[in-house]
Amino acid sequence: MFGVVLIAFVLTRVIPSDPAAQWVGQRATSEQIEAASIELGLDKPLYVQLGKYLADLFKGDLGRSLRSHQPVSAELKAYLPATVELVLVSTIVAIFLGIPLGVVSAKRKDQLVDHVSRFFSVGAVSLPTFWVGMFLQLIFYRWLELLPLGDQLSMGIKLTCEIPHITGFLIFDSLITGDLVVFKDALAHIILPGITVALYPIGLVARMTRSALLEILDEDYIRAARSYGLPERMVLWSYAIKNSLGPTATVVTLSIGYTLVNTFLVEAIFSWPGIGSYISSAVISLDYPAIMGVTIFSACAYVVLNLIADVIIALDPRVRV
Amino acid sequence: MKFLLREKSIVLTVTLIVLVAVIASGCGGSSTGQNDTGEEQPKIAFYAFNSEPILDWDPSVEYSNGIVVLNNVYETLLRYNPISNEVIPLLAAEYSKSDDGLTWTFKLRQGVKFHDGTDLKAEDVKASIDRTIALGQGAAFIWDAVEEIVVKDDYTIDFELNYPAPLDLIASSGYAAFIMSAEAIESNPDDWFSQGNEAGTGPYMLQSFKMGDEVVMTKFDDYWKGWDGEHFDKVVIKKIPETASRRQLVEKGEADVTMELPYEDIEALKGNSAVNIIDEPSFQNLLVFFNTEKAPLDNKLVRQVLCYAFPYGDVVKYAMGGYATQGRGPIPAGHWGHGKDLFQHEYDLDKAKELLAQAGYPDGGLDLLFTYMAGDEAEKKSAELYKTELSKIGINLEIRGMPWESQWELARDSDPEKRQDILTMYWWPDYASPYSWLYSLYHSEEEILFNLAYWKNARFDQLIDEGNEKSGIDRQVAEDLYIQAQEILIEETPSLFAYDKRYVWVTNSSFKGFESNPIYPNVVFFYDTYHE
Amino acid sequence: MTKNLGLINSIKPRIKEIRLSLYLLGRNRLTRLSLVVVILLILIALVAPYIVPYPEHIETETNPEDKLLLPSGDYFFGTDELGRDVFSRVLYGTRISLQTALVAVGLALLIGIPLGAIAGATGGIVDEIIMRITDIFLSFPPLLLAIAIAAFLGPSLENAMLAIAVSWWPWYTRLIRGQAVSIRERQFVKAARAIGTPPMKIVFGHIVPNCIAPVIVQASMDIGGVILTIASLSFLGLGAQPPTPEWGLMVSTSRNYFLNAWWYSIFPGLAIFVTVLVFNLLGDGLREILDPKTRKI
Repeated sequence: MFGVVLIAFVLTRVIPSDPAAQWVGQRATSEQIEAASIELGLDKPLYVQLGKYLADLFKGDLGRSLRSHQPVSAELKAYLPATVELVLVSTIVAIFLGIPLGVVSAKRKDQLVDHVSRFFSVGAVSLPTFWVGMFLQLIFYRWLELLPLGDQLSMGIKLTCEIPHITGFLIFDSLITGDLVVFKDALAHIILPGITVALYPIGLVARMTRSALLEILDEDYIRAARSYGLPERMVLWSYAIKNSLGPTATVVTLSIGYTLVNTFLVEAIFSWPGIGSYISSAVISLDYPAIMGVTIFSACAYVVLNLIADVIIALDPRVRV
Repeated sequence: MKFLLREKSIVLTVTLIVLVAVIASGCGGSSTGQNDTGEEQPKIAFYAFNSEPILDWDPSVEYSNGIVVLNNVYETLLRYNPISNEVIPLLAAEYSKSDDGLTWTFKLRQGVKFHDGTDLKAEDVKASIDRTIALGQGAAFIWDAVEEIVVKDDYTIDFELNYPAPLDLIASSGYAAFIMSAEAIESNPDDWFSQGNEAGTGPYMLQSFKMGDEVVMTKFDDYWKGWDGEHFDKVVIKKIPETASRRQLVEKGEADVTMELPYEDIEALKGNSAVNIIDEPSFQNLLVFFNTEKAPLDNKLVRQVLCYAFPYGDVVKYAMGGYATQGRGPIPAGHWGHGKDLFQHEYDLDKAKELLAQAGYPDGGLDLLFTYMAGDEAEKKSAELYKTELSKIGINLEIRGMPWESQWELARDSDPEKRQDILTMYWWPDYASPYSWLYSLYHSEEEILFNLAYWKNARFDQLIDEGNEKSGIDRQVAEDLYIQAQEILIEETPSLFAYDKRYVWVTNSSFKGFESNPIYPNVVFFYDTYHE
Repeated sequence: MTKNLGLINSIKPRIKEIRLSLYLLGRNRLTRLSLVVVILLILIALVAPYIVPYPEHIETETNPEDKLLLPSGDYFFGTDELGRDVFSRVLYGTRISLQTALVAVGLALLIGIPLGAIAGATGGIVDEIIMRITDIFLSFPPLLLAIAIAAFLGPSLENAMLAIAVSWWPWYTRLIRGQAVSIRERQFVKAARAIGTPPMKIVFGHIVPNCIAPVIVQASMDIGGVILTIASLSFLGLGAQPPTPEWGLMVSTSRNYFLNAWWYSIFPGLAIFVTVLVFNLLGDGLREILDPKTRKI
């Protein structure tokens, strides 16, 4: 983790831009810039700055955004729930669509169904998500007038209804408090971005399930089971699929990492108030503490997900170390 | 079968979810109308803004988008209407200046309340402006001329100046001229404001906000103008970066007002009765700076070539959709100090070719780097149109869209050779004075800030400095000096004046009472607006 | 002598292997189709400057009177916001995308292979250091690191390539190290070491040639992903600069005209999709063939 911070830190110091000038804003005087550079500690040697950043990091302080002058950690906290909600919803969608797709494909390997489903799952990971998002909006908002354009809630609902705040996840909160108006509204709003973001993991999960299953179907014990004359359905469900869940679970966990980054491309299109929108504006304005904050956070999340994946693999009885 | 069944149930679940959602979206609109308590529903105004609504909540510091919010929460002593050239009393009921222009006296309006419940007194004005000056951030420099602020009585206050400056225009600035409650300033730490607290006199109070995303304001019951007539109860300003989204929200009546739409969209919306297009002059103009410290643009002839090769007509027509006029000098038309008779370059490739040969490049063969602020579609298109023309005379333009901060950093590199050759940017005034353009952009500088042509001319400096001192006493004399200075500027061509932009607002047709004021860019004074 | 031994050892079965692979490759219909399209795309990329109907619309010329036209006989894909032929630009974009992807992957290989081979061949502390560094890079989600690097380097196609290369090499390092570790203990390497061949010569003369194949295969499978990443970076404004006809940049620009001219967005987006799709399909097919477990003859 220290390495991650170090790389992120070094990266931010090679940028051709003066953080002090950004801190004071677009139209600044030289005195203001100078004062800011002292205030931000930019006049000190690099290793001192790094030391301070690390020390702050241990206290959970990610510095202040150059643009808004607010603590990055507080801003992340405000933007995070929307993104996590989006990621979770699309991961669930990915599991429910991806696994069956992979199973069908493996079961009928090299038949038409397999080709179609392979085409679909490879297609899903090949689509530029930002482009898909645009067209979904065009079709479902503008032409069919079925679904809302963007954001998490309608403006009217947001301002007139009591919005429940328990976990920070709108859909969940409104559901457990029984606030159906908010729930329906939130659900309608998450469909388009949810589908857009889910495409990638659907493809990934389907591909992984297929290849894991194919591998297993080839194993001796499956052959043995078949040769005992067990019904194919039973062979598939009781032995093969159960055993292929390990690798699939791994892929699901890892795909969450991808999904997280994919939201960076999609959120702006759907005005989704998550860290994706946050980092896109940070990138445009070179707000390096904000970029670093998101980077470090995502890297942490990714490392944790990797660990979980490792644990799942370790729990798989077929893996003997 | 079991397998198929499961498959079916998954399909079923998904269909069900989609179905519920479809139903939900169907009654989304009507559910806003329902209410359990039987109260009247609040009237909400929704402004779909293209960027972060506010960056710093401190009214002394904010020098960016935030004026869009702050001008509804805070008020200034005066407000300026540049179209009618009128200074409108706001918190000051009246004001006067001494003959030498060094003492300005403001009489405050009585019965004005701050959001924290205190009454507006002269002490508040002094505390606010003193605080802004002491913090010295953002646009605080507009108060540069102020020597001392003297409270005469509860409702009278004097500003003593070092040199005559147009204090009426300064006090009506959209930046750094807000009046805060002295009580709030004294009883709170310095960063109280920037943490998202406010203590203004404006018609709306801050209700909630998500930094960088949206701001919700609610009406202040004790507002001094009162709440008779049609007004909004709540105002939402939200960042919607996608132009397509902004347009559709206003078209469908979900948002009331927006701006900065592509001109193709404006064209398409013209016949649409659901929206109004409000086209107003602005004081924002696009300027193109030539690097006068680096070959080949250190040669005046080459700079003139670049002025003649710029396709002014095409840029206005295609990059700006006709919502602009070619610039004549750096001061936009309609602003005082604009010279109607100043020389204006026109698009003339033959002339450009001829001058290029004179400068010693008969076949062109120049490579120039052109930087603009990434994300600005009009600047991008202008650059591409410019590239087309320049390629015809053998000049190759490399276009580079950069975040503003990197563009500026490149422009300020200590080595002139490493800087760009041509840079383009918008400028608009902090308060209504030609000095804002002439000083910031063309006055010689020790350290590079915004004179991004790196141009130095002693006579020019002298003329505009004199103009600034005169503008507090006799605006006509000042105007003459400013125009003389611009003649030198145009002759030396450190930059070209691409166009003066017009503001094009798109409002939902039920949104009434809105007037655009070019000195407060992008600001909607929501108190004046209502739903029909 | 030892060198020859090593080569013969590895080449003979390899030729057989390649033949078999090609045979298998042609057997799967989807893979075969994607292979054809990939070859077609490469051809287009090579000859694009000579076959596009409006070559002048690629770089300099603009034609604003004809902006945002519907697809027609003159302009198969319509025109963009400055009246340029979208068909010519999309076609030319193939060249840019493929070129960029190849260079980016090439750079990544150039960093990744030597590091991985050295780590695998020497072991010990060097291995430890290199692999720790690799781990650090691998703990960033791939696109995120590219975004961050591109943001900090400043927007240009070259920087985007660099950003991708920097975020991609650790995968190759890891892969080749695994191979190198197993080869290190093989007879011909031991022999080379015994007769006192310098370590660097062992690494690049014996180890690298013998474990490069899977890395090259992996790299060619990555092309699709890299093209998508480039498009994503350009979409965020971190890649190609106007007027370069890069697909991601075109989609990004077209967003502004989307409601009036949605057809303008379709074609560059489709181009990304089709290209990435066929590369991925081909990669998938390759993987299946090369993986002895799923291969069926």
